[in-house]
Amino acid sequence: MTCEVKAKDRTGTINPIFTCQPAGAQYASIGIKDCIGIVHGGQGCVMFVRLLISQHLKENFEIASSSVHEDGAVFGALDRVETAVDVLLSRYPHVKVVPIITTCSTEVIGDDVDGLITKLEEGLLAEKFADREVHLLPIHSPSFVGSMVSGYDVAVRDFVKKFAKKGAPNGKINLITGWVNPGDVKELKHLLKEMDIDATVLFEIESFDSPILPDGSAVSHGATTIEDLQATGSASHTFALNRYEGAKAAQLLEKKFKIPAVIGPTPIGIRNTDSLLKQLSQATGKPIPTSLVKERGIALDAITDVAHMFLADKKVAIFGNPDLVIGLAEFCLDLEMKPTLLLLGDDNAGYVNDPRIKALQENVDYPMEIVTNADFWDLEDRIKNKGLELDLILGHSKGRFVSIDYNIPMLRVGFPTYDRAGLFRNPVVGYSGATWLAEQMANALFSDMEVKKNKEWLLNVW
Amino acid sequence: MTTRKVAIYGKGGIGKSTTTQNTAAALSYFHGKHVFIHGCDPKADSTRLILGGKPQETVMDTLRIHGAEKVTLDKVMKKGFGDIRCVESGGPEPGVGCAGRGVITAIDLMEENDAYTEDLDFIFFDVLGDVVCGGFAMPIRDGKAQEVYIVASGEMMAIYAANNICKGLVKYAKQSGVRLGGIICNSRNVDGEKEFLEEFTAAIGTKMIHFVPRDNIVQKAEFNKKTVTEFDAKQNQANEYRELGRKIIENEDFVIPRPLSMDQLEAMVVKYGMLN
Repeated sequence: MTCEVKAKDRTGTINPIFTCQPAGAQYASIGIKDCIGIVHGGQGCVMFVRLLISQHLKENFEIASSSVHEDGAVFGALDRVETAVDVLLSRYPHVKVVPIITTCSTEVIGDDVDGLITKLEEGLLAEKFADREVHLLPIHSPSFVGSMVSGYDVAVRDFVKKFAKKGAPNGKINLITGWVNPGDVKELKHLLKEMDIDATVLFEIESFDSPILPDGSAVSHGATTIEDLQATGSASHTFALNRYEGAKAAQLLEKKFKIPAVIGPTPIGIRNTDSLLKQLSQATGKPIPTSLVKERGIALDAITDVAHMFLADKKVAIFGNPDLVIGLAEFCLDLEMKPTLLLLGDDNAGYVNDPRIKALQENVDYPMEIVTNADFWDLEDRIKNKGLELDLILGHSKGRFVSIDYNIPMLRVGFPTYDRAGLFRNPVVGYSGATWLAEQMANALFSDMEVKKNKEWLLNVW
Repeated sequence: MTTRKVAIYGKGGIGKSTTTQNTAAALSYFHGKHVFIHGCDPKADSTRLILGGKPQETVMDTLRIHGAEKVTLDKVMKKGFGDIRCVESGGPEPGVGCAGRGVITAIDLMEENDAYTEDLDFIFFDVLGDVVCGGFAMPIRDGKAQEVYIVASGEMMAIYAANNICKGLVKYAKQSGVRLGGIICNSRNVDGEKEFLEEFTAAIGTKMIHFVPRDNIVQKAEFNKKTVTEFDAKQNQANEYRELGRKIIENEDFVIPRPLSMDQLEAMVVKYGMLN
């Protein structure tokens, strides 16, 4: 049987799966405390991305725009950044970190953001904000390079590059989560706590599951501090859970500070969570506690209830961020399901050499397709015109119309998931994530059985 | 010794590429320096004399045809006379695309590939004409070229262009620390050329680092796809480039230029009678 990795064979994109680099940089930036990014470009580069993140998290947060117009495109728009930094710092007295995130237009016209930062440090910051701790850093994220995934990767690296300092070993590990949800961060920190491992987590976004409190505060902030970022240079190991969202930072720390980097596995499913815990245990010498063995047992019990009876042999299409898609595919295989189509929304040349994709290619015993640079037409066309039969779709909310139009149940997972309530709260990583995924996939299939009157009576006696 | 990163600017057709290559060849041959030339002109003609006319696949062509990940040093970097390492950025056909972006992308790709190694004594960025847009200023941005030489002659338009380039330099001097090392006169044999250049360079606060006389041997060597040094190192002109190389090596006068206003420039031009 074959599992082929191929790039989309059309020019043009019909309903893209990803948005562009600045989106990833912006998602990373909101994880840092006292940080407001300035996106250097047209206003839409912030407005649409903010909307997307805000729809996903159902929270308010802050990102600024340099709001470049026609004159800026002709004459250079660095003066807009100068003004933006000044206004931002004047208006927000608590802000300490200001990443300047570039976009297509400002990269094409060649605005020298790096040089401007030097100038602002010697001028504006020294003169007007001398009594403030302010850090400016450039993040180059032209949209015509990579995708939102590489934008996240680049941004994490640039934050680490800016702040990491070599100090006395602090006995901590660095945990770079990749592009995940508040619920995932909570679960990962829970695993670390059970393992008794002290970690610097990039980024602490649990706070985006925000409370409504009597103080009336309505804006959410990340909780990773400048000190946390500085401490990444003094860690014993870096664990970058996602190869395409955070590995660049891990590699930088390895190269610059000789901190060993462990890249992957994305801890989705029992197998990958086991691997992560083993690696954590090996790196730190801490044993895996019985509490986690019990949690694993609970997950296995939950999975056993649904896997063989309901999930086995179900054909699944999965789309979204590569580490998520690969992790979900691996987990589906462990659940006896048949992921038949994996859609990765960009054309990273590293995909064909990804050991996890190679393992899928070697081991899969039925036809599987992996399409890079894929769009939603790659999914729809196969269903509509090429006889692809699916029992389930896994992916984010932008694919909802394929699910609705072709009556295929879909479990929302990834970013963004704005058409279902509260999904950002539930982890997909760790043993809890495995339980949640298996049960939600089963529930999606159950609803579908009822809607389609397809052996729905079976559930009477389950 | 740290690598000196040098950008060469000047009016189109003034002889930037010829001067850069001849100087690079002299630096290697007479002074034993390790040199890298990064051509930043979409025409991609900055390295042919060093490479003996061998066609060099440009960074932008490689990017366009094979994709960014295929841009590797063994593909786009060639060694020529005197072990001088050569890279051409290349760029789009005239009239389409964005050549300035090409310069930015090419330099970024070279840095990603660690092309500018520490053993180098000199890296020359040979840049197209004026600093017409942000892209063509890439070589003088933060952490890149720290010194600039402008090639000029006694012709009014060459001086005008040099003055304009100085305006660009002033802008970047504050944010990246780039400085002007001097003006190289590539003689056109016009009357009072040396005096005009000396007055102009003094007025903008720099110096004429060397007066390269006009000599047909340069063209003859070019027809043979060679620098003068490689073609015939005993020629007087080879010695001129050797001298220019020495002056660049020993140069310590790096300034932020004070470009002239149009009125000042016109007055100077009138004085030397170039308007006719």
